[in-house]
Amino acid sequence: MTRTILYIEDNADNSLLVRRALEARGYQFLWAENGLQGLEMIEQKQPDLLLLDINLPDIDGYEVARRLRSSGKGQLAYLPIIAITANALKGDAEKALNAGCDVYMAKPINIRELWARVEAFLPTTE
Amino acid sequence: MTYLSHLQCSDCGRHFNASEIQTYCPDCQAPLFACYDLDAARFKLDRDEFRRRLPGMWRWHEFLPVSNPENILTLGEGDAPLLRAPRLGAELNLPNLYVKDEGRNPTGSFKARGLSAAISKAKELGIEKVIIPTAGNAGGAMAAYAARGGLQAYIFMPNNTPNANVEESRIAGATVIQIDGLISEAAGMAGEKARAEGWFDVSTFKEPYRAEGKKIMGYELAEAFEWRLPDVIIYPTGGGTGLVGMWKAFDEMEKLGWLENKTRPRMVAVQAEGCAPVVKAFESGASFCDFWIGATTIASGLRVPKSFADQIILKYLHESQGTAVAVSDDLIIAAQHRLAALEGIFAAPEGAATLAGLEILVEQGWVKPEETIILFNTGTGLKYI
Repeated sequence: MTRTILYIEDNADNSLLVRRALEARGYQFLWAENGLQGLEMIEQKQPDLLLLDINLPDIDGYEVARRLRSSGKGQLAYLPIIAITANALKGDAEKALNAGCDVYMAKPINIRELWARVEAFLPTTE
Repeated sequence: MTYLSHLQCSDCGRHFNASEIQTYCPDCQAPLFACYDLDAARFKLDRDEFRRRLPGMWRWHEFLPVSNPENILTLGEGDAPLLRAPRLGAELNLPNLYVKDEGRNPTGSFKARGLSAAISKAKELGIEKVIIPTAGNAGGAMAAYAARGGLQAYIFMPNNTPNANVEESRIAGATVIQIDGLISEAAGMAGEKARAEGWFDVSTFKEPYRAEGKKIMGYELAEAFEWRLPDVIIYPTGGGTGLVGMWKAFDEMEKLGWLENKTRPRMVAVQAEGCAPVVKAFESGASFCDFWIGATTIASGLRVPKSFADQIILKYLHESQGTAVAVSDDLIIAAQHRLAALEGIFAAPEGAATLAGLEILVEQGWVKPEETIILFNTGTGLKYI
């Protein structure tokens, strides 16, 4: 079964890099350019995992995570979230985890680590 | 003349042109390593000829990345003394205990080696503005070498960085930006600024050449022990450039046919209990580190929540059959006093951490009395007063 991953990220270059990496491993890739669009896509497409940039043009990644976790919709509340940030502000990692993200990764995104982190939630050998 | 041939991704192995400005692999987002034509060097170079040259890191210029000697920016870095530690050794029942005292480098730390190499190469590549995030000593070193080369330096450092690092950077003409955060956050800000302004980011492992300067510590050790490598190297590990660089040096010397023994040193990464991502990953068998939340330690150089080269550090620790040890700040302070009182070496907290780590390894029986053990003191304690 193909697993779907949504990446909420406003930078097209980062998105392309991650798309290539994940599609190479057989995942289906979806992209949203901002937080609100991302929340809509999550409702519509029901991805299996969310990659979440923190610095977004509308609502930030913390808010996206908080809305998901408090949505009262069981499936969304338990959607695995990997926060990916340029950690430009103090305490980004702590804030991301407190907002409900499961894992924190700093940019630049090391692709081997990304594969391992995603694989931990969505094993490709099923 | 350098034998530098190309750069290579440490992960996928893709080659990159060393005559052009490079950062890290755009596909894997992993560090690049400098590669040399060691087959040619093997036939042309005599290992024993190097000790007849003038002292300093650049006597190994064949294995450093600069092509034109006019671009070499030196302040006399390298050849830091390798001191026997007989009184400390007697207490620990380790008669072959040594301290490599990197605090004797220009700007008072081993960072001088990496920044001499990186800023020299930056000059050669025509770079005019360089930017670095730093826990302290790398900023001071970059400011000094940038001043010497006429490059403009921009330094992002946490606002609790030792004052000496701030002052030495400013007096060398660097622009210092102090931030409310850790080096990881400084790295994020420096990276954004670099992208926005087109400045060259000299962050640890985000360019290929700082590790080249650091690797010369490995050449110096081999030469000092008549081309037989010591049994154990204990290294304070923040970004891990020296640990990775020395392992690379051992690889190169092996390919050059210079080493008398086939056994590599067991590498030990020492971190502070308040920031020990490598130790945690090593102990759990992970191949990469989790970002360390709430990093805190008096050893500012060890406040690195996650190294960009974490996977390489862990790989080399395993390859060397080494280990990773976390020590408390109390143990670091006690070790700093013992190093000074018994051997007259006023070590930086990071350097003192290696002694604290060794004491744990002695208790565990991990080191044996007959082994040759090297502690790396990476900086002078004077900068932390």
